[in-house]
Amino acid sequence: MTLLALFALTAPLFLERGALNDLWNLAFAVILASAWNLLGGFAGQVSLGYSAFLGIGAYTTVLLSLQNVDPFLTLPLGALLAAIFSVVIGLPAFRLRGPYFTIATIGVGEAVRVWASTVEFTGGSSGLRMPAESFHFNANYFAMIGLAVVTVAIAAWVKRSAFGIALDAIKQDIDAAEAVGINSTRFKLGAHALSAALVAIAGGLYAINFQYISPASVFDFRLSLSIVLMPIIGGLGTIAGPIFGALIVSTLQIKLLAIPALRDSFLFVYGGLLIVVMLFEPQGFVGVGRRLGRLAHVR
Amino acid sequence: MSDDGRSLLSVRKLSKRFGGLLALSSVDFDVNEGDVFGIIGPNGAGKTTLFSCLVGAQRPSSGEVRFRGERIDRLPNPAVVKRGLVRTHQIVRPFRAMSVAENVAVAAYFGAGRRRGAEAERRVRDILERTGLAGEAGASAATLSIGQLKRLEIARALATEPRVICLDEVMGGLNPAEIVGAMALIRAIRDAGVTVLMIEHHVHAVVGVSNRILVLNFGERIAEGTPQEVLRNPAVIAAYLGGEEQVVED
Amino acid sequence: MLTSVILNTLLAAGLYAAMAYGLAIIYGVMRIINLAHAGLMMLGAYVAFALFSRFALDPFVGLVVVAPLFFLIGVVLYVAIGKRIAGVGSTPSIESLLVLFGVWLVMQNLAYVIWTGDTQSILTGYTMKSIEVFGVRLGIPSVLVFAASALSLVVLNVILKRTYLGKAIRAVTQNRDAALLSGVNADRISAIAFGLGSAFAGIAGAMLATLMAFTPDFGRSFLLKAFCIIVLGGMESVTGVAVGALVLAALENGLAAYTSVSTSLQDAVSFALLFIALVAFPQGLPGLFARFERRTAAR
Repeated sequence: MTLLALFALTAPLFLERGALNDLWNLAFAVILASAWNLLGGFAGQVSLGYSAFLGIGAYTTVLLSLQNVDPFLTLPLGALLAAIFSVVIGLPAFRLRGPYFTIATIGVGEAVRVWASTVEFTGGSSGLRMPAESFHFNANYFAMIGLAVVTVAIAAWVKRSAFGIALDAIKQDIDAAEAVGINSTRFKLGAHALSAALVAIAGGLYAINFQYISPASVFDFRLSLSIVLMPIIGGLGTIAGPIFGALIVSTLQIKLLAIPALRDSFLFVYGGLLIVVMLFEPQGFVGVGRRLGRLAHVR
Repeated sequence: MSDDGRSLLSVRKLSKRFGGLLALSSVDFDVNEGDVFGIIGPNGAGKTTLFSCLVGAQRPSSGEVRFRGERIDRLPNPAVVKRGLVRTHQIVRPFRAMSVAENVAVAAYFGAGRRRGAEAERRVRDILERTGLAGEAGASAATLSIGQLKRLEIARALATEPRVICLDEVMGGLNPAEIVGAMALIRAIRDAGVTVLMIEHHVHAVVGVSNRILVLNFGERIAEGTPQEVLRNPAVIAAYLGGEEQVVED
Repeated sequence: MLTSVILNTLLAAGLYAAMAYGLAIIYGVMRIINLAHAGLMMLGAYVAFALFSRFALDPFVGLVVVAPLFFLIGVVLYVAIGKRIAGVGSTPSIESLLVLFGVWLVMQNLAYVIWTGDTQSILTGYTMKSIEVFGVRLGIPSVLVFAASALSLVVLNVILKRTYLGKAIRAVTQNRDAALLSGVNADRISAIAFGLGSAFAGIAGAMLATLMAFTPDFGRSFLLKAFCIIVLGGMESVTGVAVGALVLAALENGLAAYTSVSTSLQDAVSFALLFIALVAFPQGLPGLFARFERRTAAR
């Protein structure tokens, strides 16, 4: 993991822009996947509405930048807003269990998208553009890589901390967790807020890099979907899982887009992967790896 | 109401309704510090529901529960546990993906004791010793036998450092030797300063360790007192008549 | 104005009920939330479209073809996938949710491949015509849709109340274990429930195709409406679903008529309602009424 980070950090020295862009995209995916995994993988609460947080981060950055605030300074505010929103939604939503929670999050995600498309100050469905001259590739690149490293580090820390143990207990048996003193709602809200903040920062960086955002691009349900897909394919609840998942999905996307005949087939692939993983190896890539490892040991 | 000042746990007019079913009907009793308080009654008498209402896993429909003078009947389960009142589950609920030690550690971290680090590790080791699970510390909870799982359930509850522990049929499914061991464990828990409530079907066992017994039938309290008083109570005998337990041995 | 709202509400409610019931029956029997329902509705629309454009088959007549076809598709889906993921106990599993999600994605891609992403619609001779009822102009397709939905629900009701099959379905929905102990063949009932649910999804989609233009993406907001309905109406009975459908339709039409809330925001309203319904009354309105009665009776 550290090797990967070192590689990414020194890459601009020897890679060209195209490859750097790919790395940027990969880092973006890693952040989203790892952050989502905090709630979805560690605590077992699957939310299909994370595009809302991405959008909140993106829009906060753009709106404030248009008011002449330094774009990078807007990031913490976006994170804070997303965290607050996550608590507002979470307080009622976390009373729901399992799939019902998931459905509620779909509803929230869609409601936010629709609202952002119709309201004036967000620019409605035509979106908003960042102020000119706010694009600096190097700064963007290092920021995104840096955030990716930080996110994975946070995930690793959480997993081994008491917080992470509580989330794990909640995932396995929420009533038993409560029976030993774990206030499950508080912990769920905490994981939700932390991951929302991270995703929002990534959203802000996205806005800074792409310079133009619209409800269709940042609040899209398909985005929520791919955010969920990565940790699931890679291995829910692990540290490496979301990273693998991000790698796999990003590469697939690039490859599919490159072959004209398959360009529209990404839904087939996503859907197929989801089906296969859920039916045969719910632990994803990491699960497969473990099985192979066990087989090797038996020899 | 006169001994409220001294009783550790006091229950007044506790009722619980599930739709059309009245599971608990106006139950009253007091538990004092140092008691081993047995709760017996035929199947379906509402005993487990009573425990659920005491610890906040279920909300009573009406009535009051006071723990150390404070009203706790509207508090959620984790809040009650943090105040020192915990229960075990009749159908064990271990964290199957964790080891025995991890199961107990979770309780040590988040229970009333709120332990961390080395202190927590020490408590976990100590409890595993006392419940006879030290040898299985690293084993996954999914591999334990039912007897071991029951002990794990108790160990986990003890790790929250409670003032009162509610044991729900911990002797169910145990052989006679194991029952003797369980009775010894219960006495040890009491001797260590934890007040015990216990629901049990093995009337002999309950009588053997308790100093007070409450009898429930159809959600109602039908008797309360010392084991001897309760066993001679005609209402109690009538409730058990035709059941599998032999209450009076004369 | 009021008559118009009432009539439009009725018309919408009929369709919504048919759409929601497909979801409810699968949930009731198998405790699975069928996200592929959206895909089935979408395919229903496209099949109706294909029958219309290739064979000039009137879409309402075509329902006779769509229903059995989708019944079969449902059974096949069950055998291939549904069997492996039946929910145990009372909470559906996340795996089942995600697998069916995957199926939905695959269906979407299938539609893109066969029919492209262009917006399609069915324009018959009567699509633009309307009749006057109680002084309100009602589009002919809407009226026909209402008639077809009502008919299908009546047929469903007959099946449920009068046939062995129907009774078995109701029994499994209310108390799975007891039903199994009484000798109901869980496998067969589940397969049939899946078939019926899919059939309803198909005809709902086909009917929707006569009312609006569609793309492969169109199932999602209707899926959320369907959830909203079954959460509101409880999932135990046809009447419950009908009540839920009425409430949602009334809210939508009422908002459209009496406020200046735009149609796209209306979607957000139904999503918000779903969220509120899930959190505030998990047992649906019937559950709410039951609790209310009990509270007043106790005095």
